[in-house]
Amino acid sequence: MMYYLKLGLILLIFCVVATSILAYLNTLTQPVIAARKANEAIQTRMELIPGANFREDTTAAGDVYYVATSDADSSLVLGYTFVAAQSGYSSNVQTMVGVDKDFKVLAIKVISQSETPGLGANCTQPSFMEQFKGMILSDLKVDKDGGKVKSLSGATITTRAITSSIASAIAAIQADLGGEQ
Amino acid sequence: MSFFKELSKGIIKDNPIFVLVLGMCPTLAVSSSVMNALGMGLAATFVLVCSNMFISMIKNITPSKIRIPVYVVVIAAFVTIVNMVMEAYVPALHKSLGLFIPLIVVNCIILGRAEAFANKNNVIMSIADGIGMGLGFTLSLTVIGTIREILGAGTWLNIKVMPATYDPMLVAILAPGAFITLGFLMAILNLVKEKK
Repeated sequence: MMYYLKLGLILLIFCVVATSILAYLNTLTQPVIAARKANEAIQTRMELIPGANFREDTTAAGDVYYVATSDADSSLVLGYTFVAAQSGYSSNVQTMVGVDKDFKVLAIKVISQSETPGLGANCTQPSFMEQFKGMILSDLKVDKDGGKVKSLSGATITTRAITSSIASAIAAIQADLGGEQ
Repeated sequence: MSFFKELSKGIIKDNPIFVLVLGMCPTLAVSSSVMNALGMGLAATFVLVCSNMFISMIKNITPSKIRIPVYVVVIAAFVTIVNMVMEAYVPALHKSLGLFIPLIVVNCIILGRAEAFANKNNVIMSIADGIGMGLGFTLSLTVIGTIREILGAGTWLNIKVMPATYDPMLVAILAPGAFITLGFLMAILNLVKEKK
């Protein structure tokens, strides 16, 4: 009996030591990671609509998006950026999208995904992301579903997730802005 | 047993994939391109060397009845440390390897070497074993990745190597392609061995 208690105790000590090291490292690395991610989001917005000022806004449903304006007093709207997300094949695929004031896509960037390496993960390649440029809401369907988005070979589910997440986000912001006017 | 003998055995004689048939899950999953294969191989090598070293250090204070749970805790802790430190301080590397790091936890080469080697040998030999096994794993993954990427995408390390008229054999980068490639490679290796 005592022997088994001793074994449990030793295992407990190993776990406590390992967990405390991890917890301590987490407090060190978490702020660095969070700061870098926030910084990256700003950088990506600048890439999508260069030279604009950004103002945060939310839809009635609570989704955050950014209004890009030509100068700080936000008189002339250049377009909008937002993060579109939907479950793909094996992960939640997040895409940052920049659209102009008429909701024509300027550029997209897949910012977070863990899809199948070699297949769905190819959605981060420039050749895939560039095809979205110039598309309007009605184009945003995978070619198999009658739209203009050429799907990645072996990864239609990923392509569909990205495409429909962008389409529904555009529709949501359009509806929200339409309601305000 | 010399240091270099332990180091080199993992590459051919005791190759973890083709001879020991360990770590099949990551082998089949991430060998679809050379880049992924190299990334997974090197990340796993790093964890393997660390865990082999550490487990060899604590082998005298670990009761044998609970050694497996202790190894699992040690390995999982190392993988998490690598993941967090990499994400915070080397984000560029984490971007390309990030996907594979959690997969290392379930790589049975690491637990396998801890059990078969590190808990019976001293620290230096365990490090040599870790490096050798890691290199053997990386090399085998790269070979499979090379075949699958060239056949399935017509590229090698994302550089086009096949003529433009080549129509990629998509099955090679899908899951069945991994099994087929691995099967052929093992058959060839066994043939070579029989001839000797």
